[in-house]
Amino acid sequence: MSVTDPRQTRPSSAARLPSLRRGDQLFETERRLNAVLDNASVSIFLMDDRQHCVYMNRAAELLTGWTLDEVLARDCPLHDIVHHTYPDGRPFPLHECAIDRAFPENNQERGEEVFVHRDGHFYPVGFTASPIRDDAAQVIGTIIEVRDISEEKAAAERQRLLIDELNHRVKNTLSTVQAIAAQTFRGRTDGAARTLFDARLAALSHAHDALVADNWESASLRGVVDRALAALAPGRVALDGPEARLHPKVAVTLGMALHELATNAAQHGALSVPEGWVSLRWSLRDGADDRTLLALDWQEAGGPAVAPPSRRGFGSRLVERQLPMEFGGSATITYAPGGVACTLRIPLTPLGWAGQALVQDPQEHAVPGHSAPDHAPDGRAPR
Amino acid sequence: MSALQGRRVLLVEDESLVAMLAEDMLLDLGCEVTVAMRLDQALAQARAQAFDLAVLDVNLGDARSYPVADLLRARGVPFLFATGYGRQGVDPAYHAAPVMQKPYQAAQLETLLTHLLLCGAPGRDEGDRGRPACRCLEPGDGPRFRAEPAP
Repeated sequence: MSVTDPRQTRPSSAARLPSLRRGDQLFETERRLNAVLDNASVSIFLMDDRQHCVYMNRAAELLTGWTLDEVLARDCPLHDIVHHTYPDGRPFPLHECAIDRAFPENNQERGEEVFVHRDGHFYPVGFTASPIRDDAAQVIGTIIEVRDISEEKAAAERQRLLIDELNHRVKNTLSTVQAIAAQTFRGRTDGAARTLFDARLAALSHAHDALVADNWESASLRGVVDRALAALAPGRVALDGPEARLHPKVAVTLGMALHELATNAAQHGALSVPEGWVSLRWSLRDGADDRTLLALDWQEAGGPAVAPPSRRGFGSRLVERQLPMEFGGSATITYAPGGVACTLRIPLTPLGWAGQALVQDPQEHAVPGHSAPDHAPDGRAPR
Repeated sequence: MSALQGRRVLLVEDESLVAMLAEDMLLDLGCEVTVAMRLDQALAQARAQAFDLAVLDVNLGDARSYPVADLLRARGVPFLFATGYGRQGVDPAYHAAPVMQKPYQAAQLETLLTHLLLCGAPGRDEGDRGRPACRCLEPGDGPRFRAEPAP
């Protein structure tokens, strides 16, 4: 056939053979549509108004185990061929079927179902159903796209098992560290040091609890604060601030920092006397680089007169030095006579991927003449 | 006196508490320590200062420390990687550098840094990829330390 592409059709020949050209174009359109449909990896079913399947593409034949000819020969609703039984073995009547119950009201109604293969095995599918209308806008059929989602279901299940294992493993490891410390330092160090160590380990464990609650993707700021203060200062810290989601790294370090502040308050500060109390207020502001800035203020009151410590301990080092170094921002502890105050300004790491800035501005981090072939030049870890 | 006395060491480690631990170990070994906890800080420090040695945590949150390694290699500063996953935790392109298995231990840190000082930085040419720069660190060599001859 010499004329296969309408774009190559010369006007003169088209004028001479208008009917032939239309026929060619129809043939060509059908050929193209078939090529598209039969090469699509998604299964496509065309249903008539009786829920009978009048067309299915090659992917649909592979998915169901039935050929279009066989389905047409059965002359029954598609439901009775691919969706006739619940996974528990009960019969699945057509009128209970979410896909076939009625014509979809709107385009692209989505859902998940479990189909039965010709060989009898069940497989989970995701479907999208849209109505087909005639010239009078009457619904005359349905087009259904179906995807086998076995892999996604299996991956989600593996992920769930992995997170369960991770939760268990982290808790177990922290308990093991505690046991090793207890055995190692038994009789060799004073009880106060051991108590301090156990409390810090517990704070680390509690900071991780806040992560477990959200599958390790983020942690609730309020949850981190509550957990950090619950053991040392239950009910003695007035909290005031909005909820926010924290990146896991921020959550753990902030939890430890708050634990250190509370420990210091309980030993030397406002929480060392019954009448003392602490106010912890925080707010979220617009910070640099489109980041949210967490502004958090710890203020002790009603405690004994405060004097600056003679040496900088673990707590103040963690809060004043490590915290700003890890996240940017600033942290200061002031030992005013009226009570210890701590001011934290933490630019919150965006959830999802902390390397965003590096990706968006890779030039700044490029090393001239040196780039290794096996990793992204921005140093971003593969996800 | 330790060979590490007074050496300027860049420590790149992204976990606050772990960074404190490693910094203390290096200080106890007599080193002058500069700590960087994020990739941008580490690159800025590596550009701005002259270091004798560097300790690079591989995973810096979502970033990795390889760009720092590239910069240090270009400047001839010997470095080692610290990772909880051993050599498998390091990109094969960087296998010329010694790897310290986390958790940090002072004795291991001292041994590796001392030999790194004696054996120098891994070469820059492609040819040395995939083998340690410093043969004296290979297991099985025992006490007979053998340094690669300088190219």
